[in-house]
Amino acid sequence: MLQTLALSKQFGATRALDAVSLTVEPGEIYCLLGANGAGKTTLVNVFLNFVDPSDGQALVDGLDVTREPLATKQRLAYIPEQVMLYGALSGLENLRYFAALATGRQAARAELLGLLAQAGLDATAADRRVSTYSKGMRQKVGIAIALAKNAKALLLDEPTSGLDPKAAAEFAQLLRDARDRGVAVLTTTHDLFHAKQNGTRIGIMRAGRLVAELRSEELSHADLEALYLEHMK
Amino acid sequence: MARRELTELWRDGRLLLAGGLMLLLLATAFAVGWQQQRAIDGERQAAQALDYDAWIAQDERHPHDAAHQGMHAFKPLPPTAIVDPGITPYVGSTIWLQAHRQSELRFRPAQDATGLQRFGNLSVAWVLQVLGPLLVIVLGFNAFAGEREQGTLRLTSSLGVRPRQLLAGKALALAAALAACLLPALLLAAGALAMQGGWDAVLRLGLLALGYALYLGIAVLGVLAVSALVPSTRLALVVLLALWIGGVTLAPRVASDLAREVHPSPSRQAFNQQMDDELEQAYRRAWRAQLGTDKRWGAELPLNRWGIALKIDDEAGYAVADQHFSRLWDSFARQQRLQEWAGLAVPLLALRGWSMGVAGTDFAAHRHFSVAAEAQRRLMQDLISHDLVEHADPLGDRHFSYQAGKNLWARVPRFHYHPIGAAAALRDNVASLFVLGLALAAAAVLAGWAVGVRKP
Repeated sequence: MLQTLALSKQFGATRALDAVSLTVEPGEIYCLLGANGAGKTTLVNVFLNFVDPSDGQALVDGLDVTREPLATKQRLAYIPEQVMLYGALSGLENLRYFAALATGRQAARAELLGLLAQAGLDATAADRRVSTYSKGMRQKVGIAIALAKNAKALLLDEPTSGLDPKAAAEFAQLLRDARDRGVAVLTTTHDLFHAKQNGTRIGIMRAGRLVAELRSEELSHADLEALYLEHMK
Repeated sequence: MARRELTELWRDGRLLLAGGLMLLLLATAFAVGWQQQRAIDGERQAAQALDYDAWIAQDERHPHDAAHQGMHAFKPLPPTAIVDPGITPYVGSTIWLQAHRQSELRFRPAQDATGLQRFGNLSVAWVLQVLGPLLVIVLGFNAFAGEREQGTLRLTSSLGVRPRQLLAGKALALAAALAACLLPALLLAAGALAMQGGWDAVLRLGLLALGYALYLGIAVLGVLAVSALVPSTRLALVVLLALWIGGVTLAPRVASDLAREVHPSPSRQAFNQQMDDELEQAYRRAWRAQLGTDKRWGAELPLNRWGIALKIDDEAGYAVADQHFSRLWDSFARQQRLQEWAGLAVPLLALRGWSMGVAGTDFAAHRHFSVAAEAQRRLMQDLISHDLVEHADPLGDRHFSYQAGKNLWARVPRFHYHPIGAAAALRDNVASLFVLGLALAAAAVLAGWAVGVRKP
């Protein structure tokens, strides 16, 4: 579903991505680990066509993201570290707007409230302006937007950083639900525990290169930590 | 999409503040224009009637003396001058129709303007032409740049929304916001003009609205293009304000100077000098050919031929004056046309031409009036010369003792002026409309390109 072929990106003198090849199948959660600046976010941005690759290809559902940016984006849902919404609108209005843009139809209020509930947003907050929301609440609206889109692939850029443990656990459950529906999930994270718990596969990036790829059931949390630190040396 | 934008504009108070201010200004400008138009037009109609009464009431006197007293023609102010007074403040309102020579219109309002007159120049057209784009800037400068800074543009874009679709939504939102601010003013104007000037005025108002809609459309697309191109809202605001200052203050100045350079028009003094010289020659030629002397009004010509001499003298002058005034006015018209084409780069220039043109307050309207007034003068002259020829005294020395009476005065009709109609005004100014349309298309292409340039 999500695939990169020898993907490289050069920003001036720095090589943000260096011949990265990876594949995320439907029903998989692929956790990308790595230090800040390892190229994880750049990889996500290439999938969204926010960054043009210098070399290689990124494919969504077999379609090249630079050649068919709209078709590929329609198959994706994206939740960034900070979900940015319109502060002057309520959570529900934001969801209604973005869901309408994503799906091309106006959803009913009940349906939208259902999505927000599914994403774990407190029902009383739905009609408050987003400018009064905490980060976690905005994140939940972002999840509701992704749910509304019903995409085949999810791109997550450090989605749990800054969330409290309960919210992070709820979020992980939503990811597992998505996986069970056959969605391909690619998430970047710093959280080894989260990666081990939820990931089907784990990739470790360093200086733009994918240095290790493993299946999470093959190793314990301690193994993963040791391996990660080994690669970060 | 447009609805979301509007909600935001409404909730952050910008629409209410900027739009409300605009509406207030427009209403003030309209009220001022309305009051002035009524006062001035009333005065001029009254003066026109009084002037004719004075003409009719002349005692018995020598007809040529009467011609020297002459009549006056007062230029009526069209109802649409409420919206756009055009060149009205800078050209004369009254012309003296007297013996011998074509006059220019006198009494320019700007001549004896005080500080108050500045407020008087606050016209609806000025508000829309100058402050209209500013309103668009205030409402739209952050359309793309702001969303980029906020990060919402990334989210929107990640949903697979086409940049052009986004542009269309934002343009629609701005257009709707402008309509909310301006439509009440348009309806008010339509009502007032229907009362004042009937269908012709309403039709003209419709044409005016069309021109201003195109103009503001260009502003909307231009603002969105800049907002999409620059990296930050701050830069967007700076660039847009710079463009605004250049577009509404500097460029029109430069364009009019440039137009004068390309199609030079003589100074008033040079014009008068040259026309005087040529008139003198024409008179002499006519006198020599038809009266056998080149000394005008000399002792060689018996007084009983002074009537015919007046006629010959006048007629010799007509062609020369026509030629000179046409040449002068044509050069003004060419300057105007050039400026309108410069509207491709600075749409204000094309709009100004269109607006004055269909409002009936441009130079073409002024010229039309001048020509009509001159025709009235010639009618008066010819009637009087003819009367003098008919009453040429048989004795040869009583030319000056002949006195005509009310019969003759009444043969000169009242001066009725029919301004250029709305349809003709449309035809004459269709080039400006075309330029505005072209500029709008160019702005659309620019904006369409601009939204695709920068990654979110």
